[in-house]
Amino acid sequence: MHLLKKEMQILKMKINFTKDQDIFRQEVRSWLADNVPKESLLSLDTKEGFEQHRQWEKTLNSGNWSMVTWPKEYGGRGLDLIQWLIFEEEYYRAEAPTRVNQNGVFLLGPTLMEFGTHEQKSKFLNAMATGDHIWSQGWSEPGAGSDMAAIRTTAVLEGDNYRINGQKTWSSRAAYADWTFGLFRTDLDSERHRGLSFILVPLDLPGVTVRPIPQLDGEPGFAEIYFDDVIVPVENLLGGDGEGWKIAMATAGFERGLMLRSPARFQQTAAKLLNLYIENEEHCSPMMQSKIVEAWAQSESYALSIYHTASKMLAGGSIGSESSLGKIFWSELDHMMHQTALKILGASAELSNSSEHDAAQWIKGFMFSYGGPIYAGTNEIQKNIIAERLLGLPK
Amino acid sequence: MNFNFTEEQTQFKDVIKSLLADECTPSSIRDGWSAKKSFNQSRWNKISELGVLSSNLSEEDGGLGMDQVALALMVEEMGYAGLPEPVAEQTFLVNDLMPLFPEGLKDEIKSIHESGNQYIALAHPLSPNPLFLGHAAALLLFDESTYQFILKDDLNFKPLASNDPSRELSAIDSIKKSISSSENFETLNSAVTARGSLMTAALLIGLAQKMLDLSSAYVLDRNQFGKPIGSFQAIKHMLADIAVEIEFAKPTVYRAAHSLLDKNPKSNLHCSHAKYMSARAAELACKNSIQAHGAMGYTWEMDLHIYMRKAWSLMACWGNEDKQQDIIYKTLTTSKDELGVLYTF
Repeated sequence: MHLLKKEMQILKMKINFTKDQDIFRQEVRSWLADNVPKESLLSLDTKEGFEQHRQWEKTLNSGNWSMVTWPKEYGGRGLDLIQWLIFEEEYYRAEAPTRVNQNGVFLLGPTLMEFGTHEQKSKFLNAMATGDHIWSQGWSEPGAGSDMAAIRTTAVLEGDNYRINGQKTWSSRAAYADWTFGLFRTDLDSERHRGLSFILVPLDLPGVTVRPIPQLDGEPGFAEIYFDDVIVPVENLLGGDGEGWKIAMATAGFERGLMLRSPARFQQTAAKLLNLYIENEEHCSPMMQSKIVEAWAQSESYALSIYHTASKMLAGGSIGSESSLGKIFWSELDHMMHQTALKILGASAELSNSSEHDAAQWIKGFMFSYGGPIYAGTNEIQKNIIAERLLGLPK
Repeated sequence: MNFNFTEEQTQFKDVIKSLLADECTPSSIRDGWSAKKSFNQSRWNKISELGVLSSNLSEEDGGLGMDQVALALMVEEMGYAGLPEPVAEQTFLVNDLMPLFPEGLKDEIKSIHESGNQYIALAHPLSPNPLFLGHAAALLLFDESTYQFILKDDLNFKPLASNDPSRELSAIDSIKKSISSSENFETLNSAVTARGSLMTAALLIGLAQKMLDLSSAYVLDRNQFGKPIGSFQAIKHMLADIAVEIEFAKPTVYRAAHSLLDKNPKSNLHCSHAKYMSARAAELACKNSIQAHGAMGYTWEMDLHIYMRKAWSLMACWGNEDKQQDIIYKTLTTSKDELGVLYTF
């Protein structure tokens, strides 16, 4: 050990922000203070609210804040993951609007960066950054939910085009979005995860029918998409024909991993929950204290874990099936926190229309939190992935 | 911001891991149980020869100046191996406090270190029954307002049986002579409490991982309905749940260790956080591991309980989950403006 110590290079662990990172944080903070709309926008799952949120994406882009980690030529700032986390912290702290284009910027964006051609990146990333293309997801089908390899919607190559027929469902944001990305069966004789391709489809093409599905809150946050002889140019194929499964798995990794749900979101909820408890302490059971602590402890742990992961990735590491651990953790945490808030609010928790009451926001978040363990691959599927790929258990 | 280990930190961990894989096997632990001698002198000497016992003393005190992060990583491995000898206690609870002790006491401790690989035991209201006092040269005894340094020959004590046979505990009957002090008590007491939380947290992470590994191996091996029980989702999900808890407890341990190194004013909160998360992970690991083993897990023959017993003891020592919860709650409600998105680091 004495010998080892002398030979080793020391690149110190340092869990503090550098001066440059602090300066960057100030820059984000002051831009958001000047630009975040003073009044909250309408729900992004209404037609008018959707356009308001699109406008906000354009405003973000005017400050070059669409996606700070992208290269400058595609509308980003070329920053690293730590800076992205700082941006997110300030974003949630400022209570800025929900990103209507999160399917685009957080999921398709990183996928394009990894698998797209220069032309595809140039076209799609820039249009994403400007808010001109708002994206929806097209994975699930009526017969292919958790079992995604059962996809049957076909895309048949005819010259320079694909002819698409079939149906997608639970397609997030599709009610008002401009484009969808997803998996289609391009080899009709193929089975399971072979013969699938990752294709980008505009939703305004002839033959596309979008049927919005009202969610628990009554608004159409997802939709069914019907494809009836829809013709899409072959340039819209991402990666190689038949390589769709591999690419989709990478996208799903981004979704479950650190991109879609940055820790700031949950830390902000935990902080609000603490304040809610303090305001209502006199009519709460002291048993609630344990839930308050759990909320803080878990959201803080999630943040530490993400900084740990981001540091490893910056040092050249990659994230694999570990992202399934995080997806379970944050989705259960989010639900627990909202459930706790409702318990604190007691009988007034059901007041869903009162603008002067906290309840309206909490009950909406509470309902949304039921989705967390379902979307991006149910938590049961994530547990199978953990058991099979991380613990080495048989299929 | 670089929440990565240094090469040095991970190399220390690897060295101790491979030593313990050879020296601290389940059968060697069982040998200690049957001989009622869980302190294995030859293992202790091997660990000592590596420099581990004094690794975190400063170089001028004859150590390697190892930091708390590297130490926490090593202690995690000691948990994983179920190491009976009090190496974690010696390093975290005694050595790491050296800079805080008054000069006279420091000299006493130093002279014990210099005389070889001797052990100094510690007792505190949060962990009142000192470990392996029979093998110690001296005892550091904390009470509510003072601390004492007592040479073993000046102590009368009697053995206490632990539910974990590899923890040989003692009760102190009387003290003939001691150096007693209350100098710097608050600081020392708070420092030893934080280190006790962090040390048990690191051990519990290792123990939880060991239980998960034993369970994963068992469910691959055991067949029912014509296939390994590990292919059933009910079993997979129980084990995956443990993996999730461990994954999110780990960084809290590393952050707490870094906070001690960095003299972060919130290091006590961070150590409580680490113990809170690790105790929960270990508790689930015990529950789900024995369930995955079925009736075999309930036998003396299966190795699982070697680690489960240690985990039960360590969850309770140095403040259990509920005690840590109270500490966190008090901190949250008295300084709520300083907590949240911007105050993680």
